[in-house]
Amino acid sequence: MIKIQGVTKVYTANSIALRDISVNIAAGEFVSVIGQSGSGKTTLAKLLIAEERPTRGSIHIGDWNVTNISPNEIPYLRRQIGVIFQDYKLLPKKTIYENVAFALEVAGENGHRIDQVVPQLLEIVGLAKKHDRYPFQLSGGEQQRVAIARSLAHRPKIIVADEPTGNLDTINTEEIIQILKKINEFGTTIILLTHNREVVNSLRRRVITLHGGEIILDQSEGKYVL
Amino acid sequence: MVAFWRVLRFAFQDLGRNFSMSFMTVFILVLMLLSFNALWSVDILTRQAVSTVKDQINVSIYFSADAKNKAVEDTRSYLAGFPEVVQVDLRSREEVLRLFRERHSLSTEVLSALDELGGNPFGPTIIVKTKEPGDYKKIVEALNAPEYKGLIEAKSFDEHSDAIDKIQNITNRIEGAGMGLTILFALISFLVIFNTIRVAINSQRFEIGIKRLVGASNWFIRGPYLIESVVLTLASVGVTAIILKFALKWVDRYLSVVFSDGFSLTNYYNSHILYVFGVQILAVLVLTIMSSTLAMRRQLKV
Repeated sequence: MIKIQGVTKVYTANSIALRDISVNIAAGEFVSVIGQSGSGKTTLAKLLIAEERPTRGSIHIGDWNVTNISPNEIPYLRRQIGVIFQDYKLLPKKTIYENVAFALEVAGENGHRIDQVVPQLLEIVGLAKKHDRYPFQLSGGEQQRVAIARSLAHRPKIIVADEPTGNLDTINTEEIIQILKKINEFGTTIILLTHNREVVNSLRRRVITLHGGEIILDQSEGKYVL
Repeated sequence: MVAFWRVLRFAFQDLGRNFSMSFMTVFILVLMLLSFNALWSVDILTRQAVSTVKDQINVSIYFSADAKNKAVEDTRSYLAGFPEVVQVDLRSREEVLRLFRERHSLSTEVLSALDELGGNPFGPTIIVKTKEPGDYKKIVEALNAPEYKGLIEAKSFDEHSDAIDKIQNITNRIEGAGMGLTILFALISFLVIFNTIRVAINSQRFEIGIKRLVGASNWFIRGPYLIESVVLTLASVGVTAIILKFALKWVDRYLSVVFSDGFSLTNYYNSHILYVFGVQILAVLVLTIMSSTLAMRRQLKV
């Protein structure tokens, strides 16, 4: 369960990213957060993974109080939340196998388990045969699939996907959404931050609409209305 | 322990996969170390040259031919009692005559003139060496006392006093300039190395950000850079040592002409190897670790 209560994020007096937003997201939900550029979607993602702190309000994720989380606890929180970005954020000097393994290595998983889990994850996203390639040797869609495999490494209860299809063509977009839906079917909460109208309309799931940093609409089976 | 081995593996992986950056860092460190060693060698050579010249300076005290042995011996003991005096050599009348003959063995006129005089016209001689050239004045002044007037015929110090003053002056200036240059150079080296490491780490800002996002602790991010600093330090000091070995051998060929006492830089470095390279390893290590820590500090802030 994610509880966001009265959260405001002010960068400067002229730049207020979020204004007093409150929302609850139940475990296992697939929620799309939509809005135009600058509506506060990415700020919301950053707040969820404690990359930014709210100016006011509180955020609870399960037992974690993200609002007051100590710097030492942040790595542990981030191992509970899978994150996917528009620009993939893969380590360029590591192979895709090493990219996925890295997430497990930093968490102290033993080598034997890493050798078991990583090939399985790459199999799930259909990249087992390309395990020794470097990110620059893959297409955008393939790189995003590696990012998804990495985000699944810790078997997270939540995945935050910030514009995961922003750099992809229609076919790759469809593939990524199908993978996310499949992950959701296994019980993982998916928070999809996007401004892709087709994707949101095809999902027929809960849609939260942000505008100017405020929630203007929260529909249980919504559509892209902006 | 597993974490340590992983960090170690990441460090060597990074070094290998960022080979050009690693190579450039080692290259700059080696250049800095070579320049520093060149300055160090110049300092050693200057000290050695000054000490060689100082060694060649002494005061000769020539006694009259009829000086009594006891008076000469008393004078020798008196001079040996000075704390500034390092060595006092006494040459007997016979030894002085023999040395004179040897020195003028090719000049038949001088030798025949000596024979004309008949007997030994020379008195004993005392040769005094002091710790510093400035100390000779004190010795000479002590021997200007009235009781030595009839005993001592001549003192050779006056002929060297100008040379001694000049050497003293030059030594002081060289030491001052050497210290100034060393400090200046250390400062320049610090800034160049600090900036090189900072640029290297800043270029990996993107990667550090990703590592943080996937839940890497600060140790997992910082650890490889610290180990890389140690490896780069050891590599650069190692490469410097190899280049120095050949460079010193080459310089020593020329030094053997200048220093007749067999002084060589290779021997100096060999006998001070732990000190010379220990200081350099420590200095570069402190510099690289400090630079990488400062460069990462901002990026590791959450």
